[in-house]
Amino acid sequence: MAWLVVRLAISVSLLYAASAVFEDQVGKFDWRQQFIGKVRFALFDTHSQASKKLLVATDKNVFASLNSRTGDLFWRHVDKTGPEGHIDALLMYGQDAVVVVGNGRLLRSWETTVGGLKWETVLDTGSFQAAALVGVQDLVKYVAVLKKSAISLHDLSSGSQIWGENLPDSDSVQYQTIYSGENGLVFVLGIVPNSHIVIVEYKIEDGEIMNKKSVEAAWMSSLESSCAVVSSGILLCVDQITQSLYTLPLQSAEQTEMRQIHLQMLDLEVASGFRPVLTSTQPNPAQPPLSEFFLQLSPDHHILLQFKDGLIALLRDFSPVRTNACSINLFSADTGRKHLDTTIIYHMDPNGGKPNRLYVHAFLKKDDSVGYRVMVQTEDLTLTFLQQPGRVVWMREEALADVVTMEMVDLPFTGTQAELEGEFGKKADGLLPMVLKRLSSQFILLQAWLAHLWKLFYDARKPRSSVKHEVTIDILSRDEFNLQKMMLMVTASGKLFGIDSKSGTILWKQYLENIQPNSVFKLIVQRTTAHFPHPPQCTLLIKNKDTGLGSLYVFNPIFGKKSQISVPTLPRPVLQTLLLPVIDQDYAKVLLLIDDQYKVTAFPSTKNVLQQLQDTASSIFFYLVDSSQGKLSGFRLRKDLSTELIWEVVIPTEVQKIVAVKGKRANEHVHSQGRVMGDRSVLYKYLNPNLLAVITESTDTHQERSFVGIFLIDGVTGRIVHEAVQRKARGPVHFVHSENWVVYVYWNSKFRRNEFSVLELFEGAELYNSTVFSSLDRPHAPQVLQQSYIFPAPINTLEATLTEKGITSRHLLVGLPSGNILSLPKMFLDPRRPELVSEQSREENLIPYAPEMPIREEWFINYNQTVSRVRGIYTAPSGLESTCLVVAYGLDIYQTRVFPSKQFDVLKDDYDYILISSVLFGLFFATMISKRLAEVKLLNRAWR
Amino acid sequence: MQQMNRLLDIYVALQALFALSWCFSDAEPGPVAGSQSNGDRFKIEGRAIVPGVKTQDWISTARILVEGEEYVGFLKTDGSFAVNDVPSGSYVVEIVSPSFRFDPVRVDITSKGKMRARLVNYIKTSEVIRQPYPLQIRSSGPHMYFMKRETWGWTDFLMNPMVMMMVLPLLIIVLLPKVVNTNDPEMRKEMEQSMNMLNPNPELPDVSEFMTKLFSKGSSKSSGGNKGSRSVAPKRR
Repeated sequence: MAWLVVRLAISVSLLYAASAVFEDQVGKFDWRQQFIGKVRFALFDTHSQASKKLLVATDKNVFASLNSRTGDLFWRHVDKTGPEGHIDALLMYGQDAVVVVGNGRLLRSWETTVGGLKWETVLDTGSFQAAALVGVQDLVKYVAVLKKSAISLHDLSSGSQIWGENLPDSDSVQYQTIYSGENGLVFVLGIVPNSHIVIVEYKIEDGEIMNKKSVEAAWMSSLESSCAVVSSGILLCVDQITQSLYTLPLQSAEQTEMRQIHLQMLDLEVASGFRPVLTSTQPNPAQPPLSEFFLQLSPDHHILLQFKDGLIALLRDFSPVRTNACSINLFSADTGRKHLDTTIIYHMDPNGGKPNRLYVHAFLKKDDSVGYRVMVQTEDLTLTFLQQPGRVVWMREEALADVVTMEMVDLPFTGTQAELEGEFGKKADGLLPMVLKRLSSQFILLQAWLAHLWKLFYDARKPRSSVKHEVTIDILSRDEFNLQKMMLMVTASGKLFGIDSKSGTILWKQYLENIQPNSVFKLIVQRTTAHFPHPPQCTLLIKNKDTGLGSLYVFNPIFGKKSQISVPTLPRPVLQTLLLPVIDQDYAKVLLLIDDQYKVTAFPSTKNVLQQLQDTASSIFFYLVDSSQGKLSGFRLRKDLSTELIWEVVIPTEVQKIVAVKGKRANEHVHSQGRVMGDRSVLYKYLNPNLLAVITESTDTHQERSFVGIFLIDGVTGRIVHEAVQRKARGPVHFVHSENWVVYVYWNSKFRRNEFSVLELFEGAELYNSTVFSSLDRPHAPQVLQQSYIFPAPINTLEATLTEKGITSRHLLVGLPSGNILSLPKMFLDPRRPELVSEQSREENLIPYAPEMPIREEWFINYNQTVSRVRGIYTAPSGLESTCLVVAYGLDIYQTRVFPSKQFDVLKDDYDYILISSVLFGLFFATMISKRLAEVKLLNRAWR
Repeated sequence: MQQMNRLLDIYVALQALFALSWCFSDAEPGPVAGSQSNGDRFKIEGRAIVPGVKTQDWISTARILVEGEEYVGFLKTDGSFAVNDVPSGSYVVEIVSPSFRFDPVRVDITSKGKMRARLVNYIKTSEVIRQPYPLQIRSSGPHMYFMKRETWGWTDFLMNPMVMMMVLPLLIIVLLPKVVNTNDPEMRKEMEQSMNMLNPNPELPDVSEFMTKLFSKGSSKSSGGNKGSRSVAPKRR
């Protein structure tokens, strides 16, 4: 029966099929950019000379293969978020890449050409320490994984465990590194801090302990940074206090003392307070490491040393040079001499960060000279790939893998448009000057149009490939329907981006230094581009999560330049921000910042603004949420910018905790006040702009007793308009609050499925006060209708479409873990869907109730352009009522347009101009001919 | 009062809904998710098959999602997969690929590690329709993301019922007088008779009279036809 109902619903929905993509629209107005995140490991495929592969593992638990010539992705594997998908180590040999995942939980081997998994094995529990490839006689056959208390050796081709051994005295010794030479032995190095080093030798074949020795090293606290293995199995350690290097051959059984070499003998000195770092390299795991190594003496002072026959020789001293451009040089490791013609000058972006990591791929050219490519990663997560001689091959902005918040800003008018606009803004100064001005501006327009035509003609003559569509900030201007906008993106690393929404080109970027990693951001558009000649203005509130202290960064969203406006300092933690519709004399909206003593700071705070605030203070209310105490409180502004508490709602924290609070979007328009029912009466919507939706979750997580609660609270009076509880449900709850409805999704723990629930609020058949809504004067409680549905998929995020005037029907945009974005008509989430179809419900176009929500592939607005780990969807209205701009961001960014009620206000792009014109011409000629014929006939009849 | 009644109605309706959903859950309570009594971890194994397509072409973009993104697995080069480290419980296992469609499967793992696979049914959650385990998930073809454009062709135009309704009578009107000799008095009489039989009510305006008038005026037929088609054309663009 239920299936029948579902099928019926689907067949009904076919009638309303809207917002689907046609195949010829692919890439017409949508684009996707894929990112990987901050690179933790990167390896060049040195297997063959022609290989273009670059394998990267990132902090976003992504393992990917990049094309080193273009920077595009060959393939990408996105693992689980959090520590369970964390990539601990990346090793590569030949075509295989071995990855240790989830704190040493899984060992995976990937086929790098196809991007498929070769094998995967589960390792024993225990925190991961190190992994290394183990070679026997110039062939790498095994991979060894060192855990806190165990070591295991795995076969490289199948992943099967050869042997696994518990480490001796693992509760007192910290085993930290692993080393394998060429002689069929695996060395495990451990340390008892400030006492001694433990070296255990294992036989590769069966894991037998061949030798175990301990060496006194009372000065040492950690192996990892201060020690390295160089040459053929020589352990080298550096001590900061005695300013000396210590050497110890790993294999020799007789030597149990470390040999000390004073740094003074090499005329070197460690900077005070700095822990020196040793770095060695092992280009081939089957062969011993190079005998040359780096010693870092201070944050920017490295020296290249060589270990030979028990002696250390200085090869080159790299002392710091302070310039704005960095240069990369290739030096020979044997001699420390610089190779000729290998300098690459790396120009640092003044708006970017400093370079902090370098991945070099050196190779022999055909003429036996040395060439190299280098990938530079900077603090602001830009990956730059450079090739000799200093050419930037590609760039990736990996900061965009972690977009925190975004806004869309209208583009400014072109100069001519702005001039026209300016004409209307100014005061009239006589009839004649007005006429002259009008004529001159019309002339300018004509000129611009002619120039445009000429350009079109000029471009059309050139072959298509040579016409470059470079988008720069100077040529960008608002298009006819305001479909092209500027996307402002704020990323977690503190880098701001301005992106053209039509092409996805990054127009400007700005790296904000000194951003704490756990900051929260709020982006506020204070002045749009509508107020020419005042430049648009955006304000970014950066708040430290721990201290709560915030700072403001004011900038121009079109050019990305920091504006010179003086910004109020915020000495106290900011609790809440409020953008008022009040504007100052420069047309900037006023931003109120409330601190933890409930004092209010206004920005901008000119005399004009303060005057206006005094006048309107009695009608300015705001609310604060304290989820740790379960308290919601409402405040009113006083004339002296202090505040008074009006209401307080306490939700007891022992039972439930506040998860999220959402009001309605400020730029939302509602076109119709009510709904016309089947019997021609009107059901008026309860459109309270001050309504807050508060979602709570139970503190008891047992599946029988857990619940999800929703409160609808008036933000001005604190009155609880409605409350509902969903039993046997738990989060994560995603919800949308708009117009007169709230849609929320929760997990039904009894039936193990996701469910949608919709709440709609109606005033009833009569409006209490149709002209103005006041929270203080609403005697009747609204009628609340609710209905729930099964959603047959998990959900990542939820958002509703938004259009200019709110005439177009609404759709819900659902981000799914598969990466698809589903456009679900709101019509399916209507609590008035009847169980039994009646004449009236049919007239209202209500779909009969069906428990399961349909998911149709045509509703995926991003077809196969999936967005990995979609975290947020941003919707913005365009100049066309039918069109809504959508940006989905997560690991990837996808921008498109949706038409919830199809394109009713413009001609469709498949509009058949030829047919229409041929029919029209045909009819025209037919009338002409028949007219002529009729004339002839009349004449003939008259002659008869 | 009316409001109360309405609320009551909604309440009753919700109750009915609840009762309905209650009926679906049978006596057998399916395996309980998230029982963490012992820390045993299990492995979900299976194979994904796309008929007629080489595995190399699609496995790099596919993933195995267990209960959303709670556990993630990857496909091997031969199309098989294994999701490690899964505690006992009931999970929906789904192969996600941007190019091919796979149906999800529910996998139940008991606390002892016994596995079974069954069809996903969100309405009757405890219904068991067994599926093979280790999973054999066969793709049901490529995703159909795109709507078909309404194309315009002469056949569509001609086969349109409205056009048929207009064109066929026209043809009859034009052709009938040529086939049947209306000037023959016997024939005319016969026709009148049949018309009268069809139309027993004498009060109604007589169609046959109108018809004969029309037929006798042979000259006006061409222009009439022209008019007809003209009015059709702009309507049916």
